[in-house]
Amino acid sequence: MREAAIVSEPNPLQRIPGVAMVLVLLIALFSVIAPGFLSVANLSNVLVQSTILTMLALPMTLIIMTEGLDLSMGAVLTLTSLCVAIVSLATKSMLLGLGAGLLVGTAFGIANGWLVAILGIPPFVATLGTLGMAQGLSLIVSDGQSVVGIPHSVRDIYSATLLGIPVPIVMALVTYAAFHGLLYHTRFGTYIFALGGNREALRYAGLSPNRLLIAVYAIGGAMAGIAGLLMTARMNSGHPTAGLGLEFDAIAAVAVGGTSFERGNGWLLGTLLGVLSVGVLRNGLNLISLPSSVQVASVGVLVIVALFLDGLRSRA
Amino acid sequence: MKQKLGYLALPLLMAAAFSTQARADGETIAIFTKNQTNPFFQTVRVGADNMAKTLNAKTLQYIPTKPDSIPEQLSQIEDVVVKKPSAIVFTPVDYKAMVPGVEKINEAKIPVVNITDRSAGGKFLSFVGADDYSLGLETARFLLKTLGGKGNIVIIEGVKGSLTNVDRVRGFNDALKESPGAKLLASQPGNYQRLQALQVMENLMQSNSQIDGVLAANDAMAVGAIEALDGANRKAQVIGINGTKEAIDAIKSGKLLASGDYNGFAQGCLGTMMAIRSLRNQPVISEIVLKPTVITKDNYQPFDVPLEQRTCPTFEEAGKLSAK
Amino acid sequence: MTDITKDAIAPPRSFLSQDAIQLFYRLLAALLICAVLAVLSDSFLSLGNILNVLRQASLTFFIASGLTLVVLTAGLDLSVGANVALSACIAGTVIHKTGSPALGILTGLACGGIVGLLNGIMVTALRIPSFIATYGMLWVLNGLTYWYMAGETLHGFPAGFRQIGSGYLFGLPIPVYLLLVFLGIGTLFAQRTIWGQEIYAIGANPVAARLSGIPVARRLLLVYTVSGTMAGLASIIFLSRLNSAEADIGESLTLPAIAAVLIGGTSLFGGVGTVFGTFIGALILTLVLNGMNLLSVSANWQPLVTGIIVILAVWLDMKTRRRTQ
Repeated sequence: MREAAIVSEPNPLQRIPGVAMVLVLLIALFSVIAPGFLSVANLSNVLVQSTILTMLALPMTLIIMTEGLDLSMGAVLTLTSLCVAIVSLATKSMLLGLGAGLLVGTAFGIANGWLVAILGIPPFVATLGTLGMAQGLSLIVSDGQSVVGIPHSVRDIYSATLLGIPVPIVMALVTYAAFHGLLYHTRFGTYIFALGGNREALRYAGLSPNRLLIAVYAIGGAMAGIAGLLMTARMNSGHPTAGLGLEFDAIAAVAVGGTSFERGNGWLLGTLLGVLSVGVLRNGLNLISLPSSVQVASVGVLVIVALFLDGLRSRA
Repeated sequence: MKQKLGYLALPLLMAAAFSTQARADGETIAIFTKNQTNPFFQTVRVGADNMAKTLNAKTLQYIPTKPDSIPEQLSQIEDVVVKKPSAIVFTPVDYKAMVPGVEKINEAKIPVVNITDRSAGGKFLSFVGADDYSLGLETARFLLKTLGGKGNIVIIEGVKGSLTNVDRVRGFNDALKESPGAKLLASQPGNYQRLQALQVMENLMQSNSQIDGVLAANDAMAVGAIEALDGANRKAQVIGINGTKEAIDAIKSGKLLASGDYNGFAQGCLGTMMAIRSLRNQPVISEIVLKPTVITKDNYQPFDVPLEQRTCPTFEEAGKLSAK
Repeated sequence: MTDITKDAIAPPRSFLSQDAIQLFYRLLAALLICAVLAVLSDSFLSLGNILNVLRQASLTFFIASGLTLVVLTAGLDLSVGANVALSACIAGTVIHKTGSPALGILTGLACGGIVGLLNGIMVTALRIPSFIATYGMLWVLNGLTYWYMAGETLHGFPAGFRQIGSGYLFGLPIPVYLLLVFLGIGTLFAQRTIWGQEIYAIGANPVAARLSGIPVARRLLLVYTVSGTMAGLASIIFLSRLNSAEADIGESLTLPAIAAVLIGGTSLFGGVGTVFGTFIGALILTLVLNGMNLLSVSANWQPLVTGIIVILAVWLDMKTRRRTQ
């Protein structure tokens, strides 16, 4: 029965040109024209800078696979980042801060899932609504001000290293491994493929698509909570607008990575490559100091070109 | 529009260039500003370019692609630290949240000058900025004096929590306290945005039949408020802050009463000058807080010059410009 | 994003009565907000304030009305705000350089339309999902505008031109007339023309539409071009109302426009919705902001309240729709 629900893992070879080609080309280009690009310090910069987006883009991939969308992620990240700051400031405990962030993030995730699954509100609308709520709450709890003076234990998360590797990269790798395992090696992963491709099959298998859907959105919220900790650690403060708009970056990375909005199948590695492409592009353009207006347009061009290449492949 | 950063009017400063060229030149100065959309930061960038050119140094401009984005400016700092410019002239997009970024610059031992918004932490070799509080105070005082110390006043605030807004609005309020005859009707945020200020003003005019004075925390909002007043055929005295070209034009035509000069051009010039001087082991001024100047119908002429034709102050003039 | 073809069975014509009921609910909601505001604030019910609300709603409406057509085809245009900014800046330059408002208006509309057409080409010929194509376009447009404006502000336009945005005719603001005109044209176009009906059909079921001989690609091109042109129109209104333009004016316009379309009852899955609904959506959003200003509510609450209204409106819409079916 469950086999019916499986949409097979897409043939990676078929995907490679879309996003991986873009990434390889960008890396090759910048190695030649941008001095210092290939240095360890710089590559480590690119990776560390990409961690927060990775943590949003991975759950976003799952959500998009269910033919959903989560526009609230950036705003929820902002709110959880503030919660981490406020709670760790009050309790002097990083873990309690993280707990608060996770709690608020997951609550928003569950709310999103509930609105989408139980009330049947289209994901775009439901999460646009919760975007407003999270943004409003961020402004209200902080009164528009930065929250500073948080304990060093929070900040250390961003700057510390483990076996010589920066902790954010370790966290992103662990996250990736967890998502990969979850999606490709557990039943839950199979169900997620089914949520996008074949909900009827799930019902026949005696499973509740609604609960699964809520779980997927809850994962998104929880990840926004963890990313919120990283954001707070990075700024050593909480700020009421820090993460706004990141959801669109995450969605763009997922799309660049070859996850389809229509067929409901996703490719986690593609998402990771998509995040890295955006990161490499921004970093490389900073290094060669192109005018900022070109940098603004370049991300748009990257998204369009990658999707266009993908379109060519799928037609061929 | 397209006459981008003009380097046309430099011959004037040959003398200054001559005197400071004694040591090795060709330094690269990275200039960080908050966004590409606010005219104020354009004046900062032109000032910085102007000074760098005069002193035979190069500038690299770093501007977040999303206006005022904290994560992006943090990333840009990390990228720049790899690139190792000779020095950095830095405007934090948020004065508290960017402190870790400043500390990264400090760790990399790149000399850095803080301009415009005073960072809440980190080590700087110099600060160049204007005093938002006294700008707010002086422009509001000027408006209240024009109104004879009485009348109904509204305040249009900028972005909540931003340093400039907090200080400017505090200045407005303190000036109002000095004039017991004036009455504050409302203080609403327009987020430094023209359209929002226009709509806030339109709405406030509905609930208040008589508004005599408008204190706007920047010029774009002041001009938005003027458009709202014009649209309703009502009159009020309006002041803004920043001294942008559009404000000068509005002052010239009598629509705007006054604007506080935030002098981004001088901030860009002097910030870059201090950075380069420190690289060349010349003395620097560790703190320049520009004197608040209220630009009015009587004194706007010196400000009514295209950016490209303005000249940076010299080191000797810099000391005199400072309020302290 | 685009599953649900199941509620797309009914032929376009029958939406009219259904929509009439939905619109009635929505008007009721708007009136309810008005009643609450009238009780809370003395100045709310003044004629001046009502005209004020209508004029403020008009800018959102112009952008949202074109967007409604796009959403009716199950697409989305995230670039409308950036399009307004670029069109305003280019139109403003043309007026400054030539001194001719007419030429400026034409350039603004053309610029908006061309951007829309490019969006349409990406969606139809390159087959990029509209959400992503227009998101890419958003950044390309921002980059262009930032480069073109280089941090400057365009300001000071001829008095005649400024009448469009801030003038009055027989006591009514001119944007309100334009609003009524485009509300009429939009409604007639969507409900009473073959093209309009075809747009509903494409949104309801693109495959069926293609099979029944509708030139889907050409209609989509039309729809995106119209959406872009309406953004161009909004840019002209903006320019003449504020007497100035700068590069960042579009940022705060996109999400309210999308929210107005959704509050107005147009479904993101396509095929369901009306331009009139979008008008009421824009009105509700403006009323809330107006009310908060009149009551001096802290602006911090604004996103929260807007978010709740979006969800409530769409949820109520679905509820009532199910009951009547």
